Amino acid sequence: MNMSPFPHSTKILAILIASSITMISCATPPPACGGPTTNDLHAAVNQVKNELEFNGCEAYFDRFYDDLLRIAEGDPGAANKQLFSEFLVWSADEGILSQRQAKDYYNRYFNVKFMTMQGDYNNCSHTCPARGRIMRDMERELSDKERGLMKVSLDNDGYYRADELYQEIELVLEATCAACSAGQR
Amino acid sequence: MTLSSGSARARKITGAFAPKITGAFAPKITGAFSNHSYVYAVCLTLVATLIPVLQANANTPTIRLFPTTVVEDLKQTSSVAQEMENGLQEVIGRLDQQQQLYNESKCDGAEGDPGCQRLAKQIGATYLDMLGIMEERLPDMEHTVNNTRLSLEKRLRSELGNKMTSWTLQETLLGGNPPNDASAPSPTMRGRSGMRLSERFQQYYKLVASSSSQSDQSLAVLASDIYLDMEETSELIARTREEIARATLIEQLNQSFGTITPEMMEVVGGVKSILFGDDESNTRVAGPPPASIEQAYRSPLEQ
Repeated sequence: MNMSPFPHSTKILAILIASSITMISCATPPPACGGPTTNDLHAAVNQVKNELEFNGCEAYFDRFYDDLLRIAEGDPGAANKQLFSEFLVWSADEGILSQRQAKDYYNRYFNVKFMTMQGDYNNCSHTCPARGRIMRDMERELSDKERGLMKVSLDNDGYYRADELYQEIELVLEATCAACSAGQR
Repeated sequence: MTLSSGSARARKITGAFAPKITGAFAPKITGAFSNHSYVYAVCLTLVATLIPVLQANANTPTIRLFPTTVVEDLKQTSSVAQEMENGLQEVIGRLDQQQQLYNESKCDGAEGDPGCQRLAKQIGATYLDMLGIMEERLPDMEHTVNNTRLSLEKRLRSELGNKMTSWTLQETLLGGNPPNDASAPSPTMRGRSGMRLSERFQQYYKLVASSSSQSDQSLAVLASDIYLDMEETSELIARTREEIARATLIEQLNQSFGTITPEMMEVVGGVKSILFGDDESNTRVAGPPPASIEQAYRSPLEQ
């Protein structure tokens, strides 16, 4: 004889609902804006693109870029340069970055020229008064170039040229700024 | 001095070529074929050929860092330095011999010995000779070094300081081509000790005198290098001149006692290393191999 106040079908339904709730609460969905979870650069770029395009993670662009560089360091090669360029062009096309930001991100890591040396005014009036800061910024940029050119793209020659350029700029600015300040005396 | 603008340069070239083309080719072609479309085709081809040349020239502004005056100043500095070295070489050689004799006679610690006192006085007298020669020659040296420094200073300020932005300066230094050509003289960097003063200036002179064959990027580095070197040399000469009077007075006093001071040997050592070079500092650590900016891939984002 059935002593239970509930009918058998109700019991089964209750068990099903409870187990579903348990299963849903145990499953861990991927954290939003968590960045790439793979060490394959192509796949990582696609993951980042998805995060940026569909999950509203634009604010994390810096971290994603750094993650991609780290993944690329694990599998360096000349082709990586193109992959990063295409990713940045895509980011600019999608409106995640401005054209200028995309250029800065690319050139800072993958070009010999120093973005720190951008300026519209003459050296005596603009560069010389800030020479110390400019040289410090260039030093930081040189270490980014070491990462982008040498560790990610295996472009050792490019990095050596950037290093040489850094030294030449240091020398020429020292002389030019000394000449500029002598002219003011 | 001018930083010839690209367009000005392009205009100059167009002017030089245009009459030749019209005068030499046009009548012949027209006469032989009487075909205007053929003439246009030839003209178009010529224009198409010339445009890249003009553009290439337009992209490479020339900087004038070494006018004739600077080249002459360098030559003059080299010969003045040589005169001073020649004058000092004999007296420094004599000092070395006397010092050697003093050491071999074990005079260190035996200052009371009359023989040692006599030797010490001789060394002091030679030292005074050296100071005298320097006092006599240094003003000339100072004058020529300062002339070169001031000419270069003016050029650097005008060509690199006032006419260029940091970006154009960087592009000038980077140049249009990768510096892979092993035959091209590489820019001289600072720290050329280990070389006679006159040789150093002679080398600068040679580099500058052949400057027409050098690219702008090497010239900017070379001019900066020479200027900074001149600045240091100039300061050193001024300090040395101030010191000579003091050192002469002290040595004249020492003559009455016949002693050799450590300062005296230090001064002689310093003069030797400045004038005749310091071999120890000549060893250079190998740098990285010449770099190339030739890249398989060129991004559309590249600047």
